[in-house]
Amino acid sequence: MVLDLTMSMAILALMGALATIAGCLEDLESDVGSQSNPNSQVQLAPQMNFLHRIYNKAISGEPISNGLSAVTGGIVATVLLDAKFFPLIAIVIGAFVAAVIYGIFATTSYAGRVASQTRFKQPLYMDIMRYTTPSIIAHNFIVAFCLVAIAYIQYTLLGYPFTIPFLALIWGISVGAIGSSVGDVHYGGEREFQNREFGCGLNTALSGRIVRRAESGLRNSIDNVWFCAKFGGPATGIGLGLTVFFSSWPTTIWGYTWAAIGVGIAIVAVFVVLNRLIEYQVKNAYGPYKEEKNEKEAVAVAHTH
Amino acid sequence: MSDIKEISPNNLALFGIIGGLVGIYVSPLFPPYTPTLGALGAICAVIWSAEAVRRVAKYGLGTGVPSIGQIAMGMGIVAAMFGLAIVTAFPGATMAGPVVALITASVIGFIIGWFAQNVIKMKIPVMIRCMTEIAAAGSLVIIGFSVAVAGNFEFSNIIAMVFDNGVMLAVFWVGAMAMLHPFNACLGPDERQKRLLYLAGSTGAITMAIMGIAAIMTLGTSGVITLILGIILWLIFYKKFWDEVYKDSAAVVGTGLIPKTEA
Repeated sequence: MVLDLTMSMAILALMGALATIAGCLEDLESDVGSQSNPNSQVQLAPQMNFLHRIYNKAISGEPISNGLSAVTGGIVATVLLDAKFFPLIAIVIGAFVAAVIYGIFATTSYAGRVASQTRFKQPLYMDIMRYTTPSIIAHNFIVAFCLVAIAYIQYTLLGYPFTIPFLALIWGISVGAIGSSVGDVHYGGEREFQNREFGCGLNTALSGRIVRRAESGLRNSIDNVWFCAKFGGPATGIGLGLTVFFSSWPTTIWGYTWAAIGVGIAIVAVFVVLNRLIEYQVKNAYGPYKEEKNEKEAVAVAHTH
Repeated sequence: MSDIKEISPNNLALFGIIGGLVGIYVSPLFPPYTPTLGALGAICAVIWSAEAVRRVAKYGLGTGVPSIGQIAMGMGIVAAMFGLAIVTAFPGATMAGPVVALITASVIGFIIGWFAQNVIKMKIPVMIRCMTEIAAAGSLVIIGFSVAVAGNFEFSNIIAMVFDNGVMLAVFWVGAMAMLHPFNACLGPDERQKRLLYLAGSTGAITMAIMGIAAIMTLGTSGVITLILGIILWLIFYKKFWDEVYKDSAAVVGTGLIPKTEA
C-alpha cells in the first residue's frame, strides 16, 4: 500500500510509540522475574546461604524469551487474520496466547530452579509464584501486543515482503537485546547490592550476597519492578523507540533509495560519535576503577595462602 | 547423584530416533487424523535432545544452554531442508527424506562437535557425541513439527505451507526453546533427570499446541486434533513436573519468612 507523506509519518510515529511502550514494559517484565543479568546473583544467593523471596525466572536470555513470545503472538495473529478476524482482535488474542505460554515457561523455570537448590534449603514460595506470575504475564502481554502490532503495520500498511511472525520475531529479539543491554544495568548493582557504596563495582567476594530485605518486610520481585520503573524501564523504552524511529525514518522520507541508505549511514556515524563523547565524559568524571583498601588487603591475604 | 536411577542416554536416543521417525513416516498416511503424529514424534525427539543438552551443559555451560538450543536448531534446519530437498532429485526416493536429513544432521553435528573439541579445545569429553545427538534431534524436531503443519514431508509442500507463511520461525524458535528450556529451567546442583524429562515433555507439548494452532490455518481439522492433543499432553506432563518439584524441593510453602541460615 502506498501512503502519502503525512500518513506515513503518522504511522512512523505510531510505530515509535508502540516500540517505546514495548521496550519499557519488556525491561520491567524481565525485572519482575529477575531474568537475564540480575538473575545470576539471584541464582547464586542460596549457595552463599542467602535464602531469598525473589522470583528466579530463567527462561534463557531476554532476546530468546521475547522472541518466543513475539513469534507465538505473530503465528496466532496470522492464523486469526487468515480466518478473517478483525486485525485488532487478532493481535490481542495472539498477544494473550503468547503471554500465557510465556507465563507457563516462567512458572516452570522458577519451580525447576528452586527444586534444583535443595541442598541449600531454599524453599519454594507459592505466594511469590501466585502473585508474581500474573504480573509477568501482564507485562509480557503488552510487549507482545506492541511487537505484533508493529509487525502487522509493517506487513500490511508498509508492504514489507516478510511475514508477520518473521517481523515479530525480529522485533522480539531486538527488544530483548536492548532490554538486556540498556535496562538490566539499572537493576543488578543498584538494587541487589544497594547496601554497598554506589558504583563500587562487584567484588567477587560479594557474589550472591544480595539484599533480601526491603524498606519494610522481605524484598520480593515486585519491589524490584517499582525500582526499575523509575529509570531502567523508560531508558529501555527510549532505546527501542529510537531504534525503530531512526531505522524507519529515512525510508519513510526518501523511499527505498540510495539517499535513504546514505542518511541511515549518517545516523549511525552520528551515534558512534555521540557514544564516544559520552564514554570520554564518563571516564573523565569517574576515572578508572579504584581498589578499596580492605579489598587490596584481601587480595594480598589470598596470595599468601 | 549416583544413587538415583536414571534412564540411560542410549535408551533415550533410541526412543527419540525411533519415536521421531515413526511419527514422521506415519503422519501422511491417514489425513486428517495422522499428521498430529508428526508432532508426537517431535516430542520424542525433544525429550531425547533435552537429555543430550543436559549431559553437555552439565560441564558448566550456564549461559551457554540457550546457545546450545539455538545451534541445535541451526544444524537441524539446514540438515532437514537438505535431506528433504535432495531426495526430490531422485524419483521415487521421497520416502528417504527424513532419514537422509537425520544422517546429514548427525554428520554436521559430529563435525561441529569435533571442531569444538579439537580446534576450540573446549575439553568437554561428551562434546562430540552430544553435538551429534543434538543436531540429529534438532532435525527430527524440525521435520516432525513441520509435518504436523504441512501434512506430509514433501519438500514443495513444506515450502508452501510452513515456510511461506512464516510458521517455520515458530517451529525453529519454539522448538529450540522446547529443547533448551528443560535443562535451563532445572539448572542447579540438585537437578534430576526425571523432573527434566517431564519438563521436556511439557515444553514439547506446548510447541505441539502452537503447531496445532498453525495447522488449523493450513490443514483445518487436523490442526484442531493436534491442538487439543497438545493441550492434554501438556496438562499431563506439567502436572507430572510439579509432582517432581514437590518431591525434590527443600520445602514448598504457601508463604513465610526466610529460614534462618548462617549468613
